[in-house]
Amino acid sequence: MNILIFSIVLKILALTVPLILSIAFLVLAERKVLASMQRRKGPNVVGIYGIFQPIADGLKLIVKEPVLPSSANLVIFLFAPVLTFLLSQVAWASIPFGEGIVLADIHVGLLYVFAISSLGVYGIITAGWSSNSKYAFLGSCRSAAQMVSYEVSIGLILITVCICAGSLNLTEVVLAQTQIWYCIPLFPLLVMFFISCLAETNRAPFDLPEAEAELVAGYNVEYSAMGFALFFLGEYANMIVMSSLCCIFFLGGWLPPFDFAIFYWIPGIFWFSLKVVFFLFAFIWVRAAFPRYRYDQLMRLGWKVLLPLSLAWVIYVAGVLLCFDWLA
Amino acid sequence: MAAQAAPAPADDLIEVTVDGKPVKVPKGSNVLQACDAAGVDVPRFCYHQRLSIAGNCRMCLVEVEKSPKPVASCAMPAGPGMNIKTSTPLVKKAREGVMEFLLINHPLDCPICDQGGECDLQDQAMAFGSDRSRFTEVKRAVVDKNLGPLVKTVMTRCIHCTRCVRFAKEVAGVEDLGMTGRGRDSEIGTYVERMLTSELSANVIDLCPVGALTAKPSAFTFRNWELASTESVDVSDALGSAIRVDARGPEVFRVTPRLNDAINQEWISDKARFQVDALRLQRLSQPLVRGAGGGLEPATWPRALAAAAEGLARARGHELRGVAGRLADVESVVALKDLLNRLGLAGVDGADSVLLVGTDPRAEAPVLNARLRALALAGVPFASIGAPLDLTFPLLAAGDVVREGWNGFAVLADAAGTVGALDLGFVPGAGARGVAPRAVYLLGADDYEEGDVPADAFVVYQGHHGERGAARADVVLPGAAYTEKFGTYVNAEGRAQSTKAAVGPPGAARDDWKVLRALSEVMGAPLPYDTLAGVRARLAEVAPHLARRGALEPPLWLGADALGVGGAAGKPAADPLATRVTNFYQTDAISRASKTMARCVRARQNPVPGL
Amino acid sequence: MSQAAPAGAQKADVIGDMWCGYRGEDWYYPRIGGTAGLSSKEFVTSQREAPRDLAGVLDESSQTLFLTELWRGLAMTLKVFFEPKVTINYPFEKTTISPRFRGEHALRRYPTGEERCIACKLCEAICPAQAITIETEEREDGSRRTTRYDIDMTKCIYCGFCQEACPVDAIVEGPNFEYTTESHEELLYDKQKLLANGDRWEVEIANNLRSESQYR
Repeated sequence: MNILIFSIVLKILALTVPLILSIAFLVLAERKVLASMQRRKGPNVVGIYGIFQPIADGLKLIVKEPVLPSSANLVIFLFAPVLTFLLSQVAWASIPFGEGIVLADIHVGLLYVFAISSLGVYGIITAGWSSNSKYAFLGSCRSAAQMVSYEVSIGLILITVCICAGSLNLTEVVLAQTQIWYCIPLFPLLVMFFISCLAETNRAPFDLPEAEAELVAGYNVEYSAMGFALFFLGEYANMIVMSSLCCIFFLGGWLPPFDFAIFYWIPGIFWFSLKVVFFLFAFIWVRAAFPRYRYDQLMRLGWKVLLPLSLAWVIYVAGVLLCFDWLA
Repeated sequence: MAAQAAPAPADDLIEVTVDGKPVKVPKGSNVLQACDAAGVDVPRFCYHQRLSIAGNCRMCLVEVEKSPKPVASCAMPAGPGMNIKTSTPLVKKAREGVMEFLLINHPLDCPICDQGGECDLQDQAMAFGSDRSRFTEVKRAVVDKNLGPLVKTVMTRCIHCTRCVRFAKEVAGVEDLGMTGRGRDSEIGTYVERMLTSELSANVIDLCPVGALTAKPSAFTFRNWELASTESVDVSDALGSAIRVDARGPEVFRVTPRLNDAINQEWISDKARFQVDALRLQRLSQPLVRGAGGGLEPATWPRALAAAAEGLARARGHELRGVAGRLADVESVVALKDLLNRLGLAGVDGADSVLLVGTDPRAEAPVLNARLRALALAGVPFASIGAPLDLTFPLLAAGDVVREGWNGFAVLADAAGTVGALDLGFVPGAGARGVAPRAVYLLGADDYEEGDVPADAFVVYQGHHGERGAARADVVLPGAAYTEKFGTYVNAEGRAQSTKAAVGPPGAARDDWKVLRALSEVMGAPLPYDTLAGVRARLAEVAPHLARRGALEPPLWLGADALGVGGAAGKPAADPLATRVTNFYQTDAISRASKTMARCVRARQNPVPGL
Repeated sequence: MSQAAPAGAQKADVIGDMWCGYRGEDWYYPRIGGTAGLSSKEFVTSQREAPRDLAGVLDESSQTLFLTELWRGLAMTLKVFFEPKVTINYPFEKTTISPRFRGEHALRRYPTGEERCIACKLCEAICPAQAITIETEEREDGSRRTTRYDIDMTKCIYCGFCQEACPVDAIVEGPNFEYTTESHEELLYDKQKLLANGDRWEVEIANNLRSESQYR
């Protein structure tokens, strides 16, 4: 029994520690990549190429004085970032990194991940509401509405993929792409899913609720130091989760690009990481290239464009599969 | 005394047209006055309405129909039906040309010239001149003249308008200035080095349109655009000339005359103009109480007022005496009078006054003297009783005797506060003469007789300069000078005028009537007014003419009963009638503290250096 | 505001229009009030109507469907990603400064050592922030000089009006901008500090003035 617990704890640590490290360096990577796309260098003072920048930032946030608004509901105020960060970590439980390399290989893994991202909305709402500030509340309402709207299209897209794969189990979904990755027949779906992921994680160009110039950082305006750090970390963890979902559903998870024996010498985790990095680069790339959506344009996109389109794809894919009797 | 020009009778007006606008002007006006009446601005340098016409600057050229050449509007009398045009190309070209000529020999001194910012040449060059110069030769330069400690000269800047020459000759009556040389080498000066001997000499500073004649005491210390102006009244003599006090922040920088046709026209005396540097010297800025060691020590207001109250309370009835000084405004005098009356007295000691016509108006009120001179030249006979005088106009010296049937007498006060105090009835009451005072309240009085303030009396001095009165006092209460308060002064004609505060009193000093009000509160006999309006209402009660500012009034105090002890029973005094003003430049606390006035006194002792 | 004409647009009235600038092939106005102030190319684009013919409709639809502009944008960003960076390592590398640069103030002297400032107070009058305070007096030798010449560097807006107004080139804005202090008081410069600045920076200031004098 002890061994079991010990091994589970070890597995969790093996998951969360690299995750937190990668979040830290994702922050640096974003700043550097964004800078390069703007023809400038990013942070390059703290370490060579700035690699110690995240440590400096983290240290700063830790020693900074946490400011607690006097009129805020303190318990919920302090709990909201904890909740957000918690959920972002917990979502990793069912993500497979390789054949059998998964913390919890549940049969409804997809549903689990989806449920966790829906719970994430609570974190936002409670943060904004408990701050007891107009701007925070408005920001959180907008953010929550945005997340919920795009979750609908995420759900429909995932349904399409599940129909193709025939299972809700994430490992099964990956294995179903051994022949061909789903991004090839379902490329438009990949694009739509990527867009929806951008909106889900409040990333540019859908980051109005937290854009500094527009809403003064939105729902986390009242947070400083550690609270802010947790929100920040949670957002980036969500980003990585969404990237890995893209990778699992459309790019074949840990599978190599071509089904040849040579490629299998390189471990699956490497392919997985490569694809996740590519998607993270895409997240940053999109942030550098496109202007921000206005809020009403954003909502219109979610409900009037992506929802009908993803619904149409569901029907189309289901129809095709039924027609050619390709249902698994 | 105040001669008003009577308006021209209706049939003496002629009609001319200026720029298409018909306007009626009195017969005898010149074209420039017609343009002024029409509201058209004609530039000029040498013309001045109170001086004779010179016509040498040529800047006032305008076009008159039917005349082939442009006409010097200051010299051309306006004829009926004349059609005057001031904005034709001919006129514009004429003005540009004249300005170009004027600027040929004018040095590029604007940054270092004190007249910059208020210079007629600058303003008219911007408005009417060309924007570039065609002069490629060498400009002429002129040696500077020494005209005394008041007027600074940079004669290179002179444009030879001769306003200063005409002023000195016609208004001041001293022919000190003249023009020597001709053409390019003409120079304005005194030919031999001597200072200007008139007490009105500094008015040439206002007259000079360029920076050739500027004020020496305040040279280089300010620019006109940084000064804030306040209209006020001068108190250096009893004329009450209208002045404009220019201050920057808490400091008064200069005093210039204001137009008042009835009193001083456009001139003020040198003392009125330059004594203001004394406002920052020897000022009383905090209350002082004589301490145990015999010296005056700084104290807080409550302590000083308590000490004053205690000292004054020791005197009973006629033993308490109040003396109003030369510069006391009627607000503080009425407050003092009311206070002393409330403390149970019947009388106060009046300010010395009463100069009979045997005065020296030239020394006492130079601007008034100029007016008198104008009258004398117009044919009014003048005579003087007393010491022989040089008043710059013909005078009949009538000896030392008052003759039978003398046609009344005019009383020329020599101090600003005199007439006002007398109007308020600030005279010794019956029975006051015999009693030795045990407590004396000096309201800015530094010129009292020694016998009036015995050595054992308790003296409270309230004033603004530390002088004889403050040195003698046991308690010193700092008050405000005339540029720092709203005070009313009645001039020698009986005209009540108010000064306005241009700056605030220094340190802990306060308005004079407020000090008396506070003292009355501490002494248990509070005065019934708390605001300036209240004081003025009380003034109107006592002397209604004080509420009617600016109007000429016959003096109340010349009535027989007000003149003090029993009218006609006074014995003629033994000493000959003479003026009390022996030194024009240092007559009151302010002018005695002024360094500029001291320089003037020294210069007067040696008007022609080297001789 | 005037409507910009479409093709063959007239050049802008530079003196009249404050925010006009030249951008690419046409003059550019700020976008205020709808179509007023657009460049000719932009005006044409904004007046473009939705296509009615099949070809046009297909063109537009495929652009929307296949996200053409988005891929172009991403491609441009990626291209720039690989280009050399323009960042310079500031304290150790610096760019060139124009001789017209307006930095820390200095009071200059004549070559004989006499201070140039003649206390004319034109700089104090023209300063839009009223940062200059001057008190003047006649010096013992009779010349016109300041006794106090203070510039509050925290009020100053570094517009250079004082240097334009000075008739003798006494007050100038030098090329120095690295004069940070650790207290507010040190930034309230007095005459002594300004003269010292002048002595320190005179060579460079004189060079700058010499090259700029033909334009001033």
